[in-house]
Amino acid sequence: MPVFALVDCNNFYASCEKLFDPKLRDRPVVVLSNNDGCVVARSAEAKALGIPMGAPWFKLKEEARRYGVVAFSSNYALYADMSNRVVEVLSAFSPSIEVYSIDESFLDLSGFERQGYEACGAEIRQRVGDWLGLAVCVGIAPTKTLAKLANHVAKKALAGRAGVCDLTTMRKEDLTQLFARIEVGEVWGVGRKIAGRLNEMGIRTVRQLRDADADTLRAKFSVVLERTVRELRGLSCLEIEELVPDRQQIMASRSFGTLVYELPDLEEAVASHIARAAEKLRAQASLAGAVQVYIRTNIFKPEVPQYQRAITVPLREATADTRVLTGWALRILRDIFRPGYGYHKAGVMLANIVPEENRQFTLLGGCEDVKTALLMKALDGINERYGRGTLRLAAEGVDKAWQMRRGNLSPGYTTSWNGLAKVRAI
Amino acid sequence: MLEAWYCAPGEVGPGVFVPLLEAPKLALPIDMVKVSAGFPSPAADYEDNRLDINDYLIRNPVSTFFFPVEGDSMQGAEIFDGDILVVDKSIRPQHGHIVVAFIDGLRLVKRLYRQAGRVALVAENPNYPTLDIQEGMELVVWGVVVGKFKRLTA
Repeated sequence: MPVFALVDCNNFYASCEKLFDPKLRDRPVVVLSNNDGCVVARSAEAKALGIPMGAPWFKLKEEARRYGVVAFSSNYALYADMSNRVVEVLSAFSPSIEVYSIDESFLDLSGFERQGYEACGAEIRQRVGDWLGLAVCVGIAPTKTLAKLANHVAKKALAGRAGVCDLTTMRKEDLTQLFARIEVGEVWGVGRKIAGRLNEMGIRTVRQLRDADADTLRAKFSVVLERTVRELRGLSCLEIEELVPDRQQIMASRSFGTLVYELPDLEEAVASHIARAAEKLRAQASLAGAVQVYIRTNIFKPEVPQYQRAITVPLREATADTRVLTGWALRILRDIFRPGYGYHKAGVMLANIVPEENRQFTLLGGCEDVKTALLMKALDGINERYGRGTLRLAAEGVDKAWQMRRGNLSPGYTTSWNGLAKVRAI
Repeated sequence: MLEAWYCAPGEVGPGVFVPLLEAPKLALPIDMVKVSAGFPSPAADYEDNRLDINDYLIRNPVSTFFFPVEGDSMQGAEIFDGDILVVDKSIRPQHGHIVVAFIDGLRLVKRLYRQAGRVALVAENPNYPTLDIQEGMELVVWGVVVGKFKRLTA
């Protein structure tokens, strides 16, 4: 029997902020989305205040401040580093691991039977806590869908103590009883929409979904839901997906802090998006065969004039050269730009991505390719060492007035020499 | 405009254009090619990895974090203003360890005293008092200081 564990960090973004700042102890902390728009993470204290997930911050701000809520802009560099550290710690527990999201991983625990799965879960929890100062919950079960559900049980302490829930050792009657207490919407893959339709059919709890007729569900919904039901019954249909395939498309886009009206500002934005996307492209040793640029006005403000346009250009020869990609992107931009609109977002996409070794040399390419490769290597090396954007094309601009609003960004505690947290010797 | 530098619009699909082939450049990459000839190096069998300061300072990279020091209360332990501490969170803090500790909203570096029911944070400079941890005070021993480093030139 396969056994899966789902390890999930509690309030991940908020916990990362708290980890390095002693002033945040016992304080309600929220983390905001891009441009400080919505609440995307809440500490336990913030949850207790009833701050809902996804709430627009500008509506909450005044009242939240009165309760002492501290709000942070998303510090992606910090969260990504801490997430990688968590995965590294988890890798010691299983040879087979699937990084499902920035704060969740599936582990294949088959073979840990002798030690006991629950003990193993407790050890994972202890080690991530000791080594990284982050709290995790562990759900253990014979299928991934059940492991995800077990994680929910562990988090809410619905059965036994909080933190670890092992469904593999639970008696059938106890499982049934437990599932009868959990709403069907908590099941992995059952979104709000499907949950609503299931409710209309009288299926309200996990127990009812598990015991529903699989064929009927497949006919009414999809094979995906049928598979979910089989997984709830303990029949493993989904395996650990270890290999993250190289991305076929690389996007880079940002909403602007304030509306942008001028072409030069858009040009700077597009050029720096290309720079970031091309860096990712080279990091996975690939070349892009097409470039897309898109711009659009704020669709949430229908009262102002609206415009949006995207154009994709296939390249004659796939490349990872920031200069070439920037050249094409700016030509596209100048072509789709229309004056008189307030632009809210600009983005680029690198597509038709192929591995570097599959490169099809044009007949007369010659040494330019080698020179380019060396130049790009130097560019990435310098930016890795001295921080992103240290060396860049002039097209990216200097001021970046269009940049995303990140009003309260914590320092790069683990990713930047200037961001390290000082300790006082007093 | 677009049409000037794309050819065959609509060839790939609506809104998609194929760029013109740019004039090829022809040159020989003479300085890019390394040619090796002759006998192999007699030192080839003795190649070893060059020393890496990370190996010296860091035993467990995943749980290691850096903290710069501000102040002179730990100079008796050779920890000076501006040093960057190497802190390993995977080491269980014990009596006598130098630690990074969170207390009363402060991040401190101190020597941990924990014996016979007494817990205190001790400075290594006679000008600074020992901080006794009383009932009700919330002390978080964040991690154990295992080393330090500092760059002297810019």
